[in-house]
This record gives sequence, structure tokens and C-alpha cells, in this order.
Amino acid sequence: MSFIPENAVALHIGLWFSWYDDVVKALFLGGVAADTAEGIKAQLPSSLAVEILNDPIDLALLPTAAAEADILVSNHWRADYPPAPKVRLVQSVATGVDLFDMAALPKGVIVCNAFGHETAIAEYVLMTMLALHHRLFEISGEFRERASWRTSWVEGGEPHGELRGSTLGIVGYGRVGREVARRAAPFGCRILAANRSARETGSGVERVYPLDELDQMLPECDTVALCTALGPETTGLINARRLALMKPTAFLINIARGQVVEEDALYAALRDRALAGAALDVWWDYPNAADPNRRGSRHPFHKLPNVIVTPHNSGWTAGMVGRRWNEIAENLGRFVRGEKLINIVTAG
Amino acid sequence: MKALFLGALATSQAAPITRFITEDIRTEILDGGDPSRLAAALVDADVVLTGAWRAGYPPAPRLRLLQVPLAGTDGIEVAALPEGVSLCNAYGHEPALGEFAIMMMLAWRHRLFDIATSFRAGSWFWSPTVGGPVRGEVGGQTVGIVGLGHIGREVAWRAAALGCRVLAANRTAREKPPSVERIFPMSELDRMLGECDIVVLSCALTPETTGLFGERRLAAMKPSALLINLARGPIADEDALYRALRDGVIGGAALDAWWRYPSASEPEPRPSRHPFHEFPNVIMTPHCSPRTDGTIERRSRDIALNVDRFVRGEPLENVVALT
Repeated sequence: MSFIPENAVALHIGLWFSWYDDVVKALFLGGVAADTAEGIKAQLPSSLAVEILNDPIDLALLPTAAAEADILVSNHWRADYPPAPKVRLVQSVATGVDLFDMAALPKGVIVCNAFGHETAIAEYVLMTMLALHHRLFEISGEFRERASWRTSWVEGGEPHGELRGSTLGIVGYGRVGREVARRAAPFGCRILAANRSARETGSGVERVYPLDELDQMLPECDTVALCTALGPETTGLINARRLALMKPTAFLINIARGQVVEEDALYAALRDRALAGAALDVWWDYPNAADPNRRGSRHPFHKLPNVIVTPHNSGWTAGMVGRRWNEIAENLGRFVRGEKLINIVTAG
Repeated sequence: MKALFLGALATSQAAPITRFITEDIRTEILDGGDPSRLAAALVDADVVLTGAWRAGYPPAPRLRLLQVPLAGTDGIEVAALPEGVSLCNAYGHEPALGEFAIMMMLAWRHRLFDIATSFRAGSWFWSPTVGGPVRGEVGGQTVGIVGLGHIGREVAWRAAALGCRVLAANRTAREKPPSVERIFPMSELDRMLGECDIVVLSCALTPETTGLFGERRLAAMKPSALLINLARGPIADEDALYRALRDGVIGGAALDAWWRYPSASEPEPRPSRHPFHEFPNVIMTPHCSPRTDGTIERRSRDIALNVDRFVRGEPLENVVALT
């Protein structure tokens, strides 16, 4: 033990502390995981050996990194990666674990995720709710570009909406959903929620519908915020039929996953103003090495003036990074010390 | 009896106000313009609903209630009113302005315009998947509210619910609401400003507040701070604010109140003699913050109630002055 430096971090590819059998080895894979490793190295136990592969392509050159890892810290794992037979803990650097191909990882592996993003995302939802109802982009855009006073109070212009008295429906009443409710309540919103499993009301929520009664909730809402995980029950949940149940004056906010919404149906509804507008942070398509500027959808959502588009960064704040790093460092320490883990998704 | 809706601001609200009036009073609408029609309209008006009254207006011998359809009475020359007139203002816009201020704080800290504009153009620069930069949050920020009146309070408790530390400065001593950590007297405004990440102007325009935010006071703010003006343009010195934003003395501004407004001769003026619209660190809107469906409904009800009280000879609400 004595020759293992405190806060051991192997920054160079292939530099495992493999001479010591009791060393627990953690593979940090991908850019977000690499940043996490840099951010938390001072907090990690000295008996944890760290391998950082910033680019997953390096795995092909370094199959030992996968072969020897006890812990995988990443946001994904693919079937075509080299075998990783020793992995006992998958520590996701994100909340969603849908990008891990579990069939390609050992049976019985424990999967933990990470949070810390609730404040950032709840603020994002509130911000886009406000911007959509108050028509911020339209009003500020035409005022900046051509000094249009069309919407001005002094001109008795066309009024915009407000949150007070409006009904917010939160689909997926988990950690993020609760934080959204807690922030929307002081604005005088009526708040409804729908959740797969039964949940207590609270944080200003009037009623929690079971997910199979979502159709009853949707027609009541002036804003629908999708805050659910992606799973079999939620894939394609917001389809053409459900979009048609929403008020034509309502707004849809998606911070969950693109696939919760049917792409073609949403585009048609927004284009035809069957829905007043949307704020979309999550997408159906993502950039890759071959196409780094790939659009998020096969439809030109970015050309619709009633849609606020952001590149899947609703949770990406300095505050979130600090909170999430703390959670991940805490969990890795617990694993090394054999203590009870936090944020368990699959108990193994 | 007759109630006259005079000018664009009042006539735009004539329909909802008239709908809520229950007492028997005739209404007439005159949307500016022709001076000869103005004289005829004023001569038998018992009530005038208007945002402006200037010296030189034709006589209004029967006028007893001048109802301003907004909170600010700075468009009324009180000395030019006939004797025996109650000048009343109206509210109902506080929730809309509270929402607007929070929206601006969020849009600023979350860099909403930068991110949405960049992604709309096709760039994933701001995405964590390509190692994009992180942005800020509103939770944990210190918000300073200048003028803790109807609007200031609405801003204060919403900001507190988001996890902000809330300070306030007010001319007169106020009872401290639980959402506010400390109220500074206006004479100690500079001490408050140095602590604030976000400063919200929600005070009335008076001789004391005109030019309140000049060069020295803007310099007392943090270089990263956001100034939100929902009140009146001239509370901030136009030249000083322009220079402060240009030179990075403060971080940015969200401006809904201006120094220049449309007139008959210039219906679409730029809102300042300086090109604020060229600054990326300015969020600008055309004094639209109060103009929500909700404000119109709440305010129209309140104004109609006051007209009803006047017809019935009952005491009026929101009396600002009696000439």
C-alpha cells in the first residue's frame, strides 16, 4: 500500500496500478467521465486506481482497460466494445442509463446514476415556461431588429400570457418534476402530475394521475413538462392522439428524452399550430464523429418561430457539475470501502 | 353622467372596462388626434380615463374622477387639472411584472438567447456531449430590489422561492416580508449594490429616483451584475448606462422601460438615442411586461369598480391626489 501515491490517478493511457491486487480499478470512459475524473481526483480514496479514456475509440487500442476494470464510470457502453468481465459497478455520470448496453456487461452488475441537475433543469423548465407564455423571443426579436412597439403596453398592443392561474402538467413526477413543482407553485400555477407509480402530492401539486390516466390530465394543461425517464412505457408516449388532446393554446416542454415524443406528430402539431409552441432540449438525433453538425431531428424544428431549441444542456450548469461530482466521488468511495451505495438504479 | 376614454392607452382597455361597469354611465372613446373633438368630448365628461393630462387641455368643468389605467401617474400634470378632481391609479400588473423579472434573471443566468440562437443555427457548441461550457443558475444569487412596493414584493417572494438571497432598498421604512433578508434605506443603496448579482428597478419615477443609476452607482455594482429595469427609463441615466454596458462596468441589462417612446410623428422610434439593440448583453422589450391577459382582466375589474363607486357616490380606491 505504501508505494501507492495518495489520490492515485493514472492520467496516461495504460498506466494501471496493477501491481497491487487489492487495488480497485475504475475506468472513466468518454469526455464527461474524463472531466469528472479530473474534477474529483482529490476526493477519491488512494486505493482506487483510475484509468481515463477521453475518447471511446481508444478502447480498441487498449482492451486491457476494459478487461481489468472493476468500476465503469461513463454515460454509455456499447456491444462492440472489448469485453469487460470484471465490472461490478456501473457508475453513470448522467441520470439516464439508457445508453448502457447491459447485455454487453456482466450479469449482476450494480448500476448507479447521478443527479445534482434538478436545480438546473427545474430552472430551465420555469424559464422556458415563462419565455413561451410571455412570448419573449418574438417580442424581443422584433423590438431589437426593427423597433416594433406592437406589443407595448403604451401602445395598447397585443397582450401575451402569464403563468398565474395557468395549469401546469408534469409528466414524470420524480426528482426533477418535484423541483419544477416547487418553483412553479409560488407563481400561482395549478399543478397536476402524472407518474407511472403512485406518488404523494405535495410541493403544490393538486393531483397525481397514474400514467394510464394521462389522457385525462392533458386537456387541462396550459403547459405540459416532460420530466420522465425513457422506458418502454414512455417511448412514444406523446403521440399524435395525445398531442391532439392538448389545448391548441398549450405549450410542451421536453427535458426528458426525444423518444418520449413522436417526432413526426410533434413537428406537424407545431407547424400547424395545433399546439401553440414548445421548448425542446432533447432530440431524436445527436451529432457523431462522422456528422458533428447533425441536426437534432429530420424535421426543421429550428425554423419554427414558436419553438425554443437548446442542445441537450438543460442540466449543464456549474452548480450541477459540482453537485454531481460530489455524488459520484461519494459513491466510488463507498464502493471501495464496501459501504452501502447511493443512487442505485439496478441492485445487481 | 359620462366617462371618456382618452388616448391609445385608455381606449385599448375600453372594451373590458366597459364590460365590467355595472352602474348607469355613458361611455365615449377618443383616441387622440383632433383638438376640436377633444374640447367637445371633455366639456361634459364626469370621468376621464387617460394616461396623460397636460397643461393647455380644453376645459373639463364637470371632471371629478381622473382614472389612470396604470400604476404610474407621471404622465399627469396634476397642477393642470381642474379643482376637485380625484386622481386614481390602477394595479393588477404586479404578478405579470414579478414573472417578467424572474424570466429575465433566468434567461440571463442560463444564457438562453446565446444558446438557443447558436443551436438554431445548427451548432452543438453548448452541449455537454461535445464538452460545451457550463452556464449559471439563479438559485444562490443575491437579488437587490430597488423599491419594495407592490411589484418589488412580487419579485422578492418568487426569487426567494428559487433559492435567491433577497435584499431591498426603499425610500420609506417598510415592514420586512419574510422573503427579504434586509431592507436598506435608500441613502444606503450603494452598500446594497455591491452585494448584488442581480438588481431589479421597481420604484416609481420621482424627482429622487430620476437618474438614480448614474455613472457612480453603476460602478458600485459588480462587473458581472445584471440590471433589470421594469420601472421607468429615466431612473437610469441613459448615457451612463450605455457606457457601463459597452465598457463592461456591469455585466448586462434587461430593459423593458425606455427613454423614448412612439409618438404620432415617430411611431417606431429606437427606444434610446444610443444603440442598445447592438449589444448582445442587453435583453430588450418594448415596455410590454405588464401587458398580459391577466393584467387586463384584473385591472379592468378594478377600474370598473372605481367607476361604479364614483357613480354611486362611494369613497374611491387608489386615490393618488385630490385637487
